[in-house]
Amino acid sequence: MEQQLEQLRSDALSEIGASSEEAALEAARIKYLGRSGSISAVSEGMRNLTKEERPKIGKLLNEVRNAVTAALEARKQELDAARDAAALSGIDVTLPGTPVQRGAIHPITLLQDRAVQIFRRMGFVLADGPDIETEWHCFDALNTPADHPARNEQDTFYLPDGRLLRTHTSTIQIRTMENVPPPVRIIGPGAAYRRDEVDATHLAQFNQMEGLYVAQGVTVADLKGTIEFFFRELFGPDTRCRFRPHFFPFTEPSFEIDLKASALAGGKWLELAGCGMVDPAVFEAVNRRRGDNAYDPGKVSGFAFGFGLDRLAMIMGAVPDIRLFIENDVRFLAQYR
Amino acid sequence: MKVSLNWLREYVEVPDDVAALCELLTLAGVEVEGIETRGLTSDKVVVAEILSSEQHPNADRLSVCRVNDGGGEPRQIVCGAKNYRVGDKVPLALPGAVLPGDFKIKAGKLRGVESQGMMCSAKELNLAEDAEGLLILPPSATVGTPVHELFAPDTVLDVEVTPNRPDLLSHVGMAREISALARRELTVPTIDAVAGEANGGIEIRLRAGEDCPHYTARRISGVQVKPSPEWMQRRLEAVGLRPINNVVDVTNFVMLELGQPLHAFDAREISRSIRVRHATEGENFLALDGRNYALSPGHMVIADDEKALAIAGIMGGEHSGVTEKTTDVVLESAYFRPQNIRRSSRELGLSSDSSYRFERGVDPAGVTAASLRAAKLIVELGGGRIESFSEGGNAPADAVGVVALREGRCSEVAGTDIAEREVEAILSRLGLTREGTGWRTPTYRPDLTREIDLVEEVVRVYGIENIPPRTRGDFVSATRVDAIHDRLMELRRELAATGFFEARNVSMISAEATTDDPLAVDSLRPIKNPLSEDQTHLRPNLLPGLLQALAHNLRSGTKSVRLFEIGRVFRAETREERLHLATVMTGLLQPTSWRGGERSDVDFFDLKGVLASLRLADLRFAPATLRGLPLAAEVRSGEVSLGFAGQLAPARARALDATAAVIVAEIDLSLLPLEARTTAVCREIGKFPGTSRDIATLAPLGVSHEQIETVLKDACEPLLRDVELFDLFVDPTGEKIPADRKSLAYSLTYRSDERTLTSDEVSAAHARLKERLKAAVDVQFRE
Repeated sequence: MEQQLEQLRSDALSEIGASSEEAALEAARIKYLGRSGSISAVSEGMRNLTKEERPKIGKLLNEVRNAVTAALEARKQELDAARDAAALSGIDVTLPGTPVQRGAIHPITLLQDRAVQIFRRMGFVLADGPDIETEWHCFDALNTPADHPARNEQDTFYLPDGRLLRTHTSTIQIRTMENVPPPVRIIGPGAAYRRDEVDATHLAQFNQMEGLYVAQGVTVADLKGTIEFFFRELFGPDTRCRFRPHFFPFTEPSFEIDLKASALAGGKWLELAGCGMVDPAVFEAVNRRRGDNAYDPGKVSGFAFGFGLDRLAMIMGAVPDIRLFIENDVRFLAQYR
Repeated sequence: MKVSLNWLREYVEVPDDVAALCELLTLAGVEVEGIETRGLTSDKVVVAEILSSEQHPNADRLSVCRVNDGGGEPRQIVCGAKNYRVGDKVPLALPGAVLPGDFKIKAGKLRGVESQGMMCSAKELNLAEDAEGLLILPPSATVGTPVHELFAPDTVLDVEVTPNRPDLLSHVGMAREISALARRELTVPTIDAVAGEANGGIEIRLRAGEDCPHYTARRISGVQVKPSPEWMQRRLEAVGLRPINNVVDVTNFVMLELGQPLHAFDAREISRSIRVRHATEGENFLALDGRNYALSPGHMVIADDEKALAIAGIMGGEHSGVTEKTTDVVLESAYFRPQNIRRSSRELGLSSDSSYRFERGVDPAGVTAASLRAAKLIVELGGGRIESFSEGGNAPADAVGVVALREGRCSEVAGTDIAEREVEAILSRLGLTREGTGWRTPTYRPDLTREIDLVEEVVRVYGIENIPPRTRGDFVSATRVDAIHDRLMELRRELAATGFFEARNVSMISAEATTDDPLAVDSLRPIKNPLSEDQTHLRPNLLPGLLQALAHNLRSGTKSVRLFEIGRVFRAETREERLHLATVMTGLLQPTSWRGGERSDVDFFDLKGVLASLRLADLRFAPATLRGLPLAAEVRSGEVSLGFAGQLAPARARALDATAAVIVAEIDLSLLPLEARTTAVCREIGKFPGTSRDIATLAPLGVSHEQIETVLKDACEPLLRDVELFDLFVDPTGEKIPADRKSLAYSLTYRSDERTLTSDEVSAAHARLKERLKAAVDVQFRE
């Protein structure tokens, strides 16, 4: 019987070792370990053994059963591993990935949001105002003379009721101060309209971003610090700002801002924004409208700035024609994914 | 404005370094936009005398000259100009000379005749912007000397003068500015009174009120009108003006020198008096540009007893100007109110160097001096006698003022310490004088009327580059606009992640473009003065523009397109400005790939899935009838109608060049609480397993999914957790199910938070729901 068991062990192990697929392995399991398998048969014969033989043979029987079970398991794992390996072998990993549909946010929106995030880091919040404005908000309150050419129908879109499409987002300054007492620290992105003939660098509707900070003791130094920080964040630490005295009706002193940075093509000064200290006449106009003296020019001061997003986006992204921003061609927009 | 540095040098010592000068001016707010150099430096362009001139044997338009260049032997030069006489002295470029534009002069043959150089025009020598014929030099020029010894090379700056600085529209004004900025001494021409001049002579009647408070006329008789001398022509040509005759040139010269526009009339054309009056309605005036202008009472004219002689401050008349026949001149110098000139110039579409200055404001105190300066120059260049001076009115008194400036105010505004000593020095250099606690401003600075104007001057001259930047801020609360901005950016990112490109259209469209709009409104806002016919109204909806963008893409060969736009729309009704979201999509649902798979086009339900994923609100879609959308749904949130979604009529889609269904939607975001920030509150995750049971219904075609779902949900069956439609089947042939019925199959999930449900509990709940459904809707169940 001992011999018989040894024979069974060697037969089983060799058969298991030779099994090259799961079905053969299962057949071997049934043949040796199944209810009517060879090893079970031996186990059946145990009862015919003498009391002395029984422990010895019993021990051997267990050894054989364990060995066969272990071999089956090991072989199964080998076969599984081989099958798994075969399943994934030879696949060309250079094949293209499954395409995922992706659109894109418009480049002007992206730039606008980026500017918003920078100003928020400086504690500015967002404000807005309507596109359809009164002449008072767009011109009078901003200290623009009654006969200023910008008010002319050649330059500004009017509605039949005498209102107009705002020619700059500076109206947001007025709208904010009308409703909120100082301190205010706001930015206002939005559309502006001018009756310019459309060409590669002009649109009759474009996008601006306005900024206003009014509080006690706001100075030219604050204006400089804010503008310089913004453009360095936008164009990189090597950005240089030049403030060139200029004239705007609603600020005094007024400056145009020229910038130079390696991120900006050409390496020459580019005029990109206007700014200045809020003219006392603007505060006085707001106070008259508010019916109080919240913006007392003797007590508060402020700065304002504004820049065009379209031109900025053109320069930053080497966009050759401003009309690409309103053509909405997905071949252009896809570049901003 | 063009500024000649040679000219400036008559009044101020101009720094030699032109780049540094431009930087100085630019950083003080006087932007130099261009620098041109005039004249030449070559020694090989010399004065030559024309000895003879004969017709070229082979060319009608050329002549062959012999000239003396001082080198001994006469040179033979072929020449195309006609404006010279034998004996004239002209510039001659010798072989080897290089003229502006890198034009090299060589000896050679012209039409078979040897030419040993070239005789030059002022333009060829870069002495003028525009000139015809040879430059005829003064007879006193010495033959053989280099021409550059006669014409000092000049640098001309193109300066952008801001509208608040009319004082800079002259060479003396610019010299004054440079003197203040660069701390150089200023020498302005002194203008003495004329001895023996009579007072009066021309009666001046001011009839235009405050539009003309001061008018002067000076009569000069016996003038010989002829070309101006070389120096005068050079000055004018350097700054881009064409010399005309000595009288007209003097008026231009003095305008460019002092900033006061002048006008010279032929005295014979004026009857005794001059009236400054408003035009009569419909008054016609032939100006010296040859055009006829129909005037109105807002415009101002200079007239005599009979007729208008000039549009005041803007342009003279065709018939009253100075010509070669003129001997007696009436020289006008006046102050016209800027507002009048600005409006008239704009209304008439007519501007001139004169109106440009008047509309910005000339120095009211400079009227008389400019007249005197010009009269003397006219006599100097054309002979004659200054006969009489007539004056009406006075310089407006409000031009001179004293402006208070508080101590320390400049430092307060600048945010850096500017010493009072420095403040005083700057203002004094700019021509202001201390008067009590304030400063008296010069008459030529109409822009200095308030304290802040003086502060600006100080900051400008002190130099903003000398003010250290400061970074500080305040704590501020986010606004509603901030919250909306963030939510909209989120929407954009989500839409971009599902394949949509953001479009940005202009707000102006044509009314026609809105007629196919499913939500066409009759409350369009028209623009009074549109720029073009396709932009006559403000858009009432985004979809018309978005469909145009779609068509553009389809026509450019992109067949699968998804676009969205978030933007303002405008209505002539309450909530005039609204914020809308619109989407369009067409083409393949999935991009093509080597992986294969079913290729299908997007349909209405793909769009509905996208809109639902935006989590804007609990959106509901109700059947609707909308223009141009055979498949249409109203999009609602609760009781509020937000907009619509649907499929464009196939004919319209084809007109846009679409090859697949075009699915569109537009909703009014301003009706949604975009600014609401929601914080999720955690609920316990169910510990006990759920059980699903299916219901297969056969319902009439007219019964909607929503009806069935509503019945199931409204039953308030406590164990029911979810209802999911998993199959829809119709069979128009009637073979598998009746043709007038549809099969809707639902999977219902039951679960309890307290225990594992028994099969009996679930079966009972499921049976109750089926009963309810049967009672509420005409359905059968397929088992």
